[in-house]
Amino acid sequence: MEDESFTDISGKPVSLDCRNHSNFCREFTVSSAKISIGKVLAYTCCVWLLAYAVFWVTENTAVLSSAILITLVGMTLHIHFVKVDHESLLVIGSLGIQVSSSYASGRETTTFIEMNKIKDIVINEAIYMQQIIYYLCVLLKDPSDPEGASSVVPLFQSSKPRLDCLVKVYKSCQEILSKC
Amino acid sequence: MHQRQRAGALKKSSSQKCPEAPADNFRGSTKKHSICMVSDFFYPNMGGVESHIYQLSQCLIEKGHKVVVVTHAYGRRKGVRYLTNGLKVYYLPLQVMYNQSTATTCFHSLPLMRCVFVRERITVVHAHSSFSAMAHDSLFHAKTMGLNTVFTDHSLFGFADVSSVLTNKLLTVSLCDTNHIICVSYTSKENTVLRAALNPEIVSVIPNAVDPTDFTPDPSFRRDDRITIVVISRLVYRKGIDLLGGIIPELCLKYPDLHFLIGGEGPKRIVLEEVREKYQLHDRVRLLGALEHKDVRGVLVQGHIFLNTSLTEAFCMAIVEGASCGLQVVSTRVGGIPEVLPEELITLCEPTVRSLCAGLETVIARQRVGSLPPPESIHSRVRTLYTWRNVAERTEKVYDRVSTEEVLPLDRRLLRLRSHCGPVAGSVFAFMAVLDFLFLLLLQWLVPDRVMDVAVDATGPRSMWGQGSSIKLNATKGAANPDLFGE
Repeated sequence: MEDESFTDISGKPVSLDCRNHSNFCREFTVSSAKISIGKVLAYTCCVWLLAYAVFWVTENTAVLSSAILITLVGMTLHIHFVKVDHESLLVIGSLGIQVSSSYASGRETTTFIEMNKIKDIVINEAIYMQQIIYYLCVLLKDPSDPEGASSVVPLFQSSKPRLDCLVKVYKSCQEILSKC
Repeated sequence: MHQRQRAGALKKSSSQKCPEAPADNFRGSTKKHSICMVSDFFYPNMGGVESHIYQLSQCLIEKGHKVVVVTHAYGRRKGVRYLTNGLKVYYLPLQVMYNQSTATTCFHSLPLMRCVFVRERITVVHAHSSFSAMAHDSLFHAKTMGLNTVFTDHSLFGFADVSSVLTNKLLTVSLCDTNHIICVSYTSKENTVLRAALNPEIVSVIPNAVDPTDFTPDPSFRRDDRITIVVISRLVYRKGIDLLGGIIPELCLKYPDLHFLIGGEGPKRIVLEEVREKYQLHDRVRLLGALEHKDVRGVLVQGHIFLNTSLTEAFCMAIVEGASCGLQVVSTRVGGIPEVLPEELITLCEPTVRSLCAGLETVIARQRVGSLPPPESIHSRVRTLYTWRNVAERTEKVYDRVSTEEVLPLDRRLLRLRSHCGPVAGSVFAFMAVLDFLFLLLLQWLVPDRVMDVAVDATGPRSMWGQGSSIKLNATKGAANPDLFGE
């Protein structure tokens, strides 16, 4: 049980929480920073100022009410579908890997990958937006070709921690994977 | 997130490492550089520039330098790949405009290039080929970021037509504050110095090389009842395919036992097909289409004579490969070709059908009498002439020299641009340089250097590649994904 702080690829703090449930079962949780109130205020102000400017020209009050709606709906959608509060990776030796991410609204999505489908867990490099980053991913076995990998499942997709954090997760995952 | 899978070691057909390199006396200079090769042209595209970059990189890796290659994405090949010996290749998703060259706006490639330069801790940026917009972009950005720059020019240009006037101006701008320029032959040096108005002292000549172990003669593949002329080149105007179309019927009428083997693909293939159709030469002129590098030797050893009809050529790799396979070379006397081979190994002609036919006829006559030197002796002459090891050693000297030079700070760079490139172009590009610098400052503010992860080296002094102990974790899972992180 330890909580360590790292940064993500754009320099914001993230924290990594490793839990040792047993020798064969470990859980890693990466939590990103909460939504800052300043950011919410800034976006709201932008939308409302824009709406007010339009209102100034058109003198139509529907603009103002739609601005309120846009802000509310936008915020709800953001915390429900975009903003991920924490992502966790549960590795259970000989059974499989469970990847779950919980959104700021409380919604959770979970996927489970059986061990016999997993080829390996590796750190890979990718071009993401205008950056080249490291990411952790699960390689899935190709049923037709035992040596090849059919596809990859990227982990910690929304928090995108930096290499030092990934190496730590990678090493303890490999400890478990190598045992079974 | 883009899913870019590291494809493990991609197998290349050409030599797996620096040919015939004795390991101990190979480590001359002590200073190790981190070199970034940038060009639009790299594998899977095939050609002289591509294999030059690949072979040079392999030899520099062997010498203990760190080398990464940056090129644009080829189809589905995007992201980061590793080739033999941990040569890391970045296939950046930049838009391709014309002839595999990327579009240039001078700015849009800066974020990704900066990312590569910072995370790989590059000290020298080495751009290749003046046709490559990406190479010029990288020089521009590298100078903005204060990195040393080297440029290799692989081709010759004219001076007269509009397109060459424009490209020459761009080249002047691009090279006027580059630390060092490498040309592949003295003709090419002369051409580049004139085109870009350079000080000849910062231009070095380092020829290309061939891997002599790949191109060995084997006369048993030759048919003795006929004389075979081999042509291997891209079928484009620059390679003089129209001349070839004139030579084929003339010689085929004269010599009934003459056969042509033509390897390569391109828009001028139609010329040769028409000739073949018109003179009913289907059994004597074989068009093999595009050849893979590994198949080239198999075609070369079938021939007696190697014919090169290029109209312009900075340094012709093909004739060295042909001579290395023991063929008698007949070539046009253009560009840097006369420098390439000693006189007794090559027959030089003017780039006209008549002169080439005359040259071929003398060689055919000598072949019939048997007065030509045997393939083995030609091969042994050629194998020592051009080796990649030698090229790498000389390039290393350039890097050593460049790394001691200072990169011009922005104010002096602006002065140089304006004094060197004329008032209009100079001012325009000085303005671009300022914009580039401001863009860089913006990027540095958005994503500071310290936030970028330093890449794990696969080559060079801190290489993690192939250190047996570090790769054990994956050993049970098959070696398809050598991981670099389990220190």
